[in-house]
Amino acid sequence: MTTTAVPAVAPAARRRPGTATVLRWEVAKLAAQVRSRALLIGAIVVPVAVVLIFNTQLPPKDTIYGRHIHTSGYAVPLFVLAFAHQWVLPLLAALVAGDIFANEDQHGTWKTVLTRSVSRTQVFWAKTLTAVGFNLLVLALLAASTITTSLLVVGTQPLPGLSGQLIPAGHALPLVIASWATAVAPMLGFTALAILLSVTTRNPTIGVAAPVVAGMIMQLVSSLGGLDQGRRLLLTTPFEAWHGLLTAHPFHAPIVTGAVVSAGWLAVCLAPAHRYLRRRDITGG
Amino acid sequence: MTRTRTIALASGLAVAAVGALAGCGQPDVTKSRLERAIGPAFANLYVQRADLLGEHGVTVTRIGAAPACDRGGPKVPDVGPGPDWICMIHFIDDHGQPQDGKFEVQVKADATYVAGGPSKLIGQATLTDSHGHDVPNPVFEFDGAFDPDN
Repeated sequence: MTTTAVPAVAPAARRRPGTATVLRWEVAKLAAQVRSRALLIGAIVVPVAVVLIFNTQLPPKDTIYGRHIHTSGYAVPLFVLAFAHQWVLPLLAALVAGDIFANEDQHGTWKTVLTRSVSRTQVFWAKTLTAVGFNLLVLALLAASTITTSLLVVGTQPLPGLSGQLIPAGHALPLVIASWATAVAPMLGFTALAILLSVTTRNPTIGVAAPVVAGMIMQLVSSLGGLDQGRRLLLTTPFEAWHGLLTAHPFHAPIVTGAVVSAGWLAVCLAPAHRYLRRRDITGG
Repeated sequence: MTRTRTIALASGLAVAAVGALAGCGQPDVTKSRLERAIGPAFANLYVQRADLLGEHGVTVTRIGAAPACDRGGPKVPDVGPGPDWICMIHFIDDHGQPQDGKFEVQVKADATYVAGGPSKLIGQATLTDSHGHDVPNPVFEFDGAFDPDN
C-alpha cells in the first residue's frame, strides 16, 4: 500500500504550483488588459495635463495649497494630492481591485481558474497581491509624474508651510514625497474594500463604483464635524494625515492612527472576502 | 444568505464603533488649538510681508502676535468646525504701533483653517514689493493646520 502511495503523492506535491505561479498568471492577465495599461499611461500623462492646465488658471483657493500653485512648484503636488483624495484615489484603488474577482464571474471563468491544481486561498492571495501591487504602482507613477511636472513647470521655490513658515527647497521635496506616501495606507484600505465588494457582489460595476461612493459618503460625514474622534475610524481621514508634516512643529499622530485604521479596514474587508470565496459554491459559469 | 449576513455584520460593526467613539470623544477643533496655531502663523507671514516690502527689523518676537478666537458669538460654544470663527489678533505692526486685527477664520473638520485678514491693517491681496513687482500678499488670506490630538 505504502509503496504505491508514495510515488503517487510525491510527483503531485512537486507539480503543485505555489502562490507565486498563480501570482505570475494574475499579473499576466492584468497586463494583457487594455484598461490596466491605459490606467498606467493615464497615471503618467494626466498629471502633466492637469499641472499645465492649472498653471494657466486662477489659483483654486478652496482647496488647501490651491492659492500657492503659481508661487511654488512644491505646492502643486500637495494641491493635487488634496484634490485627488476626495474621489480620484478611491476610484484608482477600486478600478482594478473591484474588478479582479468579479470579472471571473462576468466571463464565467471561475471553473477554468479553479480546475488548475491551485487552492482557492492561493487564487485569493494572488489576486489580492496583484491588485495591491498594481494600485501601489499607479499611486507611485501618479506621484512621480505630478511632482516632476510641477517642479519643471512651476519651479523649485520655497514651499509655504501650514504654520506660515517658508520651507526651503531642499527640505520641501522629502516632505512632498512623504505626504504622497501617507496615501499608501488608505489606498490599501480602499483596495481591500473594493476586493470585498468584488468577491461578494460578483459584479464589477459595484466593485468599482461602490468604494468611490462609500469614500464620498465618508468624506461628507466627516466634513459635518459632529463625529469628532469618530472621524478617525473613517477610511478617508488617513488621506488628510499629511497636513501634520508641513507645520512648523510637525505632528505624526494622525499618520500613525491612519495607518492603524487602514490596517483595520484591510483586515475587516479581506477576512470575510477570503472566507466567502473559499466557501462559495462554484458550479455554474 | 452569507453575503447579506456579512454585509449586515460589517455595517453594524462600523456604525456601532463610530457611534461609540462619537459619543465619548473630545472635539478635534477647539479654541486653544486654533489660537496656538494661528498666532505663530500670522507672525511668520507678517514677517514675510515685511521682507517683501523691504521693511527690515520686523521679527516674530517684535510682532508679539496674541490671538483670541471665538466661534459664532457668545452663545455658541467655542468648539467644532465652521465658517463662523473670528480671531482677534493683537500685534505690533511694521511701524511699531499696537494693532488689533479681526480675522475671519473658516475652520474645517480636518483640522485645517483658512484665515482672512483685515485689509486696512495688512493691505490688499496683492502687494508691490521693494523691486516694484506685484506679488501676492502672504498674510491677506492663508491656510494653516493644527494638531487634532494635542
